[in-house]
Amino acid sequence: MKRMRTLAGISILALVLAACSSGTTDTAAETTAAALDDSNCAAAESFCVGLVTDIGKVDDKSFNQSAWEGAQAAAAEVGGFAKYIETTDTKDYAANMKQFTDKSYDVIVTVGFLMAEASVAAAKENPNTKFIGVDQFQAEEVANLTGLIFPEDQAGYAAGYLAGLLTKTNKLGQVLGLEIAPVQKFAKGFEAGATAANAAVKVTTVYHPPADNGFGDPVWGAAEAKKQLSQGADIIFGAGGGTGNGALIEIAKAEGAGTSIFCIGVDTDQWGTVPEAQPCLVTSAMKGLVEGTSDLVKAAFDGSIKGGNFNGTTGLADYHDLAAAVSADIQAKVAEIVAGLKDGSIMTGVTL
Amino acid sequence: MLDFISDNKKSLITLGLVTVIAYVFYFLDEIRTTSVLVFGWGYAVPLVLAAMVGIIGERSGVVNIGIEGQMLMSAFAGFFGSVFTGSIYLGMIIGILTGVLMGAFLAVAAVKWEMDQIIAGVVINIVAAGLTSFFYAQGKTLPELMPVVSIPLLSDIPLIGPVFFRNGLFALSTLFIVVAVNYALFKTRWGLRSRSVGEYPSAADAAGINVTRVRMMNVTLAGALAGCAGAFLALEAAGTFARGLTAGRGFLALAIMIFGAWNPMGALAAALFFGLSTAIASQLQADEVINIPQQFVNLLPFVMTLIVLSIAVGRVRPPAAAGQPYTKEG
Repeated sequence: MKRMRTLAGISILALVLAACSSGTTDTAAETTAAALDDSNCAAAESFCVGLVTDIGKVDDKSFNQSAWEGAQAAAAEVGGFAKYIETTDTKDYAANMKQFTDKSYDVIVTVGFLMAEASVAAAKENPNTKFIGVDQFQAEEVANLTGLIFPEDQAGYAAGYLAGLLTKTNKLGQVLGLEIAPVQKFAKGFEAGATAANAAVKVTTVYHPPADNGFGDPVWGAAEAKKQLSQGADIIFGAGGGTGNGALIEIAKAEGAGTSIFCIGVDTDQWGTVPEAQPCLVTSAMKGLVEGTSDLVKAAFDGSIKGGNFNGTTGLADYHDLAAAVSADIQAKVAEIVAGLKDGSIMTGVTL
Repeated sequence: MLDFISDNKKSLITLGLVTVIAYVFYFLDEIRTTSVLVFGWGYAVPLVLAAMVGIIGERSGVVNIGIEGQMLMSAFAGFFGSVFTGSIYLGMIIGILTGVLMGAFLAVAAVKWEMDQIIAGVVINIVAAGLTSFFYAQGKTLPELMPVVSIPLLSDIPLIGPVFFRNGLFALSTLFIVVAVNYALFKTRWGLRSRSVGEYPSAADAAGINVTRVRMMNVTLAGALAGCAGAFLALEAAGTFARGLTAGRGFLALAIMIFGAWNPMGALAAALFFGLSTAIASQLQADEVINIPQQFVNLLPFVMTLIVLSIAVGRVRPPAAAGQPYTKEG
């Protein structure tokens, strides 16, 4: 009997932990930014923002985190309420969105390219709810669904241009997440930019093998980065969530990191999000995720939001401590390129 | 020595063949071949160690599908242990001890309490995923790097030296661990007892072996190897911890255990094969030598596994009593 009781105790412990864990079930957390709760989202005076993450965590130091920060900031600004659900399985996209629509949330932010189809379906089912699809290109316009898209190829191009000017070995590397459109645009933009800056440059491009953990495999990222380094690459672009972060951290350990070996981060300014990478991190190819999400949530609040696609901004992060390693000439040239990309005078020529 | 050769003929032939091919490539392109093999061995290390955990468990009659969770907990404990103690060596020890603790948990649940072994393993995986996600804290950095040690003389051998004998402490120990487990399992009294407990526990019991004690001890000690695998991932391979760091490697190790016919040397060959295929898949992508979609290239190891497993069916057989709790009769 005693044994059974202990067993039962362990099972209960396991269940409780499973419930707390974000690794096995979907967790939800609420922001403290607003004092409201979601009990009366249907009421006209309340404004509720729900965010569904892609596979991954809301504190992934990259994609989900930025979108959540944007949603939180916008909700706080307009006196609304924000809450997120972390997705752990692609099959749960619809169910997670339904948790919000059931409570009559005003705006639902869905993060990530992989959720595009589920978002379209949910938007059609709930015509009175505004949907914001981060990184989701809308081929067909749905009135209550806005895709926040970024010209990733431009951010990649600028990063590639910098790398092309900086490289001594004329060999660049890319350690990437899954081979999906936003990542491909980064990668091809990087290749185009590098070649434009330096015709002699050769870019090695390697995507993570297709798997559920394509954006969360730092071990693979580190091994791939190490391989590319030993084959002579001196600047490596790590683009792919945790996988890319693994690459950045590995490069930071290399001999000559910050003087002859550099790494470039992605999505957000990774100087702050991956401090381990600081020894080699020269810049990051950024998407304006926080501003883009926040702008759209605010537009949804005042009713100015439109269906279809909304173009966010991209750019390069600050050089931080490695500014000294980038000569003034190069800095000026790269700034010129970034400006040219923004005003449309430079085209990346990237097509998927 | 001769015994060893005749006992492991197939694995040795495979190993020899791979070595010859590797040297051919080495003379064609030194840098590429070395770096691909370094990648391959790095990929194989946690798989080999985890497969040893599975082999020791099943050889003594306990199925361990909780390796993934044991590794994850050890990776977590090893990383945060280093962060808080400020020493990577203490982190290694904490990681390994956590592995032992997780092994002991499985031993108590599955052997002492005769809980269903599969369920006990699943519980470990769920608890590990839960605890490590819940207590995960961001922005922590290892206090120091895992030192890279070169073994004198051996590390000067072209190709093999830099791949196997110039590594962090875990990767360096792995080859010796495999040989030691192989020797212990087939050449020592402990090995004979363990195997008899896994094949025919009632006969072992009649011969005076304490089945429960042997199983408890083996499952617990095997946890130390799961600890090594986990600590390797966090401290040596990635140099960081992320949620779900193990990324299914504990389950892949079970496939490797079967692929290697529940034999340590076989598992080593199988893991090397997996590592090498993954490395080659990534190198083919990088070099764009053949213009086929990368998804297809990456299927390579799995297709090969399927082929090899279907050929091996019927010729390999799990230990007879694996998965069955033993209750003393009478």
